[in-house]
Amino acid sequence: MTLKASKLMLKRILIIMLAIVILFVSVTSIRLVKIMVIDGEKMQSLASEQQLYDTLVSAPRGNIYDSKMNILAKSDTAYTIYLMPNGIKGLAEEKRNRVKTTIASGFAEILGMDYETAYAYTEKQTYYVIIKKRVDKSVADSVRKFLSENSDLGLAKYVGIDETTKRYYPNESLASVVLGFVGDDNQGLSGLESYYDTTLTGVAGRVVAAKNAHGSDMPFSYQVVEEAKQGNSLVLTIDSFIQHAAEKHLEQAVIANKATGRGACIVMDVNTGAVLGMAVKGDFNPNEPFTLSQADQALLDVEGTTVTKNQLLNKQWRNKAVADTYEPGSVFKIITASMALEENVTTLDHNYNCGYSIYVAGQVYHCHKRGGHGALNFKQAMVGSCNPVFITVGQLLGPSNFSKYFEAFGFTKRTGIDLPGEALPVYHKEANMGPTELASSSFGQTFTVTPIQLITAASAAVNGGYLLKPYIVGKIVDENGNVVKSTQKTVKRQVVSETTSAKIREMVKAVVTDGGANNAYVAGYDIGGKTGTSEKVAQMQTTGDRAYIASFLGFAPIEDAEIAVLVMIDEPRGASHFGGTVAAPVAAEIFKEILPYLGYEPQYTEEELKNYAVKIPELKGKTVQQAKSALTSAGLNINVVGSGETVLKQLPAFGETLNKGGTVIVYTEEGENGKKMAVVPNFIGMTQSEANSAAHAAGLNIKYSGNTTSGNISKAYDQSIPKGNEVAAGTTVTVYFRDESSTD
Amino acid sequence: MSEKKKSFSFFNKGKIDIAFLSFVLILLSIGLVMLFSASYAYSYTYFGNSYRFILRQAIFAVIGVALMLIISKIDYHILKKFAWLIYAVTVGMLVLVLILPASTELDVKRWLAIGSFSFQPSEIAKFAIVVIFSAWLSTNAEKLKKIKYLAWMVLLLGIVCILVVSEPHLSATVLIFSLGIVLLIVAGLQARWIVAGAGLGVGGLLFLIFSGAISYGSDRIAYWLDPWADPSGKGYQTIQSLLAIGSGGILGRGIGQSRQKYLWVPEPHNDFIFSIVCEELGLIGAMVIILLFCALIWRGFTIAARAQDRFGTFLAIGLTFQVGLQAILNILVVTNTIPNTGISLPFFSYGGTALVILLCEMGVVLSVSRSSSVEKV
Repeated sequence: MTLKASKLMLKRILIIMLAIVILFVSVTSIRLVKIMVIDGEKMQSLASEQQLYDTLVSAPRGNIYDSKMNILAKSDTAYTIYLMPNGIKGLAEEKRNRVKTTIASGFAEILGMDYETAYAYTEKQTYYVIIKKRVDKSVADSVRKFLSENSDLGLAKYVGIDETTKRYYPNESLASVVLGFVGDDNQGLSGLESYYDTTLTGVAGRVVAAKNAHGSDMPFSYQVVEEAKQGNSLVLTIDSFIQHAAEKHLEQAVIANKATGRGACIVMDVNTGAVLGMAVKGDFNPNEPFTLSQADQALLDVEGTTVTKNQLLNKQWRNKAVADTYEPGSVFKIITASMALEENVTTLDHNYNCGYSIYVAGQVYHCHKRGGHGALNFKQAMVGSCNPVFITVGQLLGPSNFSKYFEAFGFTKRTGIDLPGEALPVYHKEANMGPTELASSSFGQTFTVTPIQLITAASAAVNGGYLLKPYIVGKIVDENGNVVKSTQKTVKRQVVSETTSAKIREMVKAVVTDGGANNAYVAGYDIGGKTGTSEKVAQMQTTGDRAYIASFLGFAPIEDAEIAVLVMIDEPRGASHFGGTVAAPVAAEIFKEILPYLGYEPQYTEEELKNYAVKIPELKGKTVQQAKSALTSAGLNINVVGSGETVLKQLPAFGETLNKGGTVIVYTEEGENGKKMAVVPNFIGMTQSEANSAAHAAGLNIKYSGNTTSGNISKAYDQSIPKGNEVAAGTTVTVYFRDESSTD
Repeated sequence: MSEKKKSFSFFNKGKIDIAFLSFVLILLSIGLVMLFSASYAYSYTYFGNSYRFILRQAIFAVIGVALMLIISKIDYHILKKFAWLIYAVTVGMLVLVLILPASTELDVKRWLAIGSFSFQPSEIAKFAIVVIFSAWLSTNAEKLKKIKYLAWMVLLLGIVCILVVSEPHLSATVLIFSLGIVLLIVAGLQARWIVAGAGLGVGGLLFLIFSGAISYGSDRIAYWLDPWADPSGKGYQTIQSLLAIGSGGILGRGIGQSRQKYLWVPEPHNDFIFSIVCEELGLIGAMVIILLFCALIWRGFTIAARAQDRFGTFLAIGLTFQVGLQAILNILVVTNTIPNTGISLPFFSYGGTALVILLCEMGVVLSVSRSSSVEKV
């Protein structure tokens, strides 16, 4: 009993003590250092990830306005529906199951998701999961109602609604490829929304609060609040009116000419580089950017198709005016002429002879005109778009001069316009430019440029020689409308002299008045321009598909050259594929609409006045005799319907216009009895006078649009009311004319 | 010096080992503070007030400290007299717990309830093994060389171990088994037996692991090796523990500043309290606590070495070793160094009866120190 520990025991006690202490300290310290120091940061961030409930206070995204402060894109209130599954986890089993199934079926019904997906959300091991983003108010209200209906289960503790914003484009597809669109988190995905994303986004505020595993706030004060700062707004140089005109006529042309490669149109201020309109068809509705057009959807639905939805989506989002390059064709002759005149290798009246063929280094080139133009001067060569003359002039310039001006006109670099995805041109470098490359380049083939490059360069050719940097955002304003930044006109360099520029204006004016681009004629205005028809040679060589790009670049009023319009229709597959027939009339219609809007008063020639519209006087309440004399003095005819004494109704109405010699129908009796109807005839293919007769025969009034100066060469190619429609007699039908023989 | 020891007196008049008592009280105080911090959010969430756990634990701590001081006054030799009774009662309770229907978790029978108190017989079993081994070895240490006596000891140990592992309560089994073995080693178990036993132990362990004999254990091993394989299920507790520890860094978030205790670490006041300690006190705080446990071990072993007789030596060794080993195993589990087995951290983890038992055991060690201190003079 009194025996004390033996020596062996003491030895072993010491050993065990040392062993246990050493083991304890060493193993735990190694482990703790590993977890707390080496992996500390990782563990801490993982812990923060689950603990910190990071609520983004989204900054309202800035708006996009047109130049007249019309809203093109704005942010509307939207709602995010979220769930806190960890809160459910803590419930007793029976209640937990009821909560889960109720939530799942509620979500399935209100948010249109399937039950299994919704149920899976309730099982997630997280305190916060977003169920659906960007739902509108009605859905959010349904969710609120659902929560209050199930208040016995306390669903409001697990399901929440956050207010956020949703991008809305009130004009739908208007300028869609320019504006672009945003993703689920309101991040810009294409167009200006993407290019100016940072500007528009502003700074989202954050509330970082700590949460427990059940998803409620932790009682200790851990909360960081960062204030949200609203994004700035863009004020574009684009004018909705101009944009709309460009889109309307471009779309019509794309459809009418059965263009399979879309179309693009740019309207630019020649003297500032501001883009007033930029249209691409077919485009999309940025409110539903992932919806394909019916035609594209049909392509996708074809059995065994090789196209994918992504390809089609990317195509409809693509801004053809800046992101794609093409061979400009004869439109480029404006540039070649500028070079030649500036370098004095030719003059406007220098005489040439076009013998149809021209040989350059053993390679033969033909004029598009069979048999050639014969004797003609340089100006006439532009009017006739004579390739042999331009090849000759090009050879005189030589590769060095050509390349120097090619670069000076900005064709070797991006223009730097504030839009994403601007394409780089593909061209012959001076070192690789032999006589044949120079020859084809002289008339705009074998190199590619973007539409924005071409219109910018050609603007320099007519504005006195100044190459400008094109831009589309005029200014950036903050939420209070204060200007944060405004874009200044940027002159990159003077490429050609004012003298040369004046000669170019003279040449392109002649193109419209004397030939080539007669379809660009707009009554009352002096338009200058150049057509282009480029064959897609590479495509022909690879696929055997012969396709063209029809284009026209015009300026108005040509004396001052203030507004430029470039229209390019890719792969027209209708009756004609020529720039003169397909693209020039589009530009004419756009000019016709936007020039008066921009404040340019039409100046009619005697010839035009003969045809030109007169305003219809107010006839209502007048006697038939009074009406007759009023109309006669205005140069109009009268057609009285009914046997009454006074005019009750007139067609066309007061204030509208009619061509001289048009007929106004006046009704003198009430009721339908006396109402005269007329069936719209088919005007397509008629000359102007034939159409006039047909309209009168049918009891309709007619208005001419497009090329009405080329006499019987001009044929109707479209009409405002389709044939066969029954309308009230006296209704005005606009008939569009163009010179069907107009080519390149 | 011998005349005093001849006669048995109920009360011990020697001086208490202040160092050991200090370490116990320091660990207990830190433990209570940390328990309050760790249980705060859990208690608030599930019981509506933040003080439920700390109040109960504090009451038991007061009772425990009082009992510890009283026991330290009592001559520990009384235990030797009742050693067999204690052993028999313990075995009885261990059998009873297996017979009675499970009270808490499915398939696990660990708790016995007396009135409103419940306790784990395995806690008592640890003490019982220490007492019975100390009692027997204090007079028969030399007989261990004979296989018959060794076998007898192994049988005593084996019965308890088999009963505890049947609950099942693997960690307690490991602890009890280790206690028995350590006492045998200190008593002079021959080196060949130690080597053979170690070999047998390692072999058995490997057999159990690879044969899949203990299914719930082998599952634990899988999630021990890769808790991220099931981050929201079987690996959840381990991952949350690691996140808490890692969040502490070197200096910790500060007392009361743990975030993982907000229901992330399941039952942060129980076995995994050390992860919250790490998060709040950092690497430095955690190492201080580990060193305090080491100091307690050192002091306990010193008391053992200086004990006036072998019974005191073995008691002090066994009880100190038990605390030390439990602390080591707990921290190794919390840091995912070894597979997760339910093992609490002495002085820290919530559990009233366990704390009272622990403090009573510390009282016994102090009682041993009292008797030995007389000799130091």
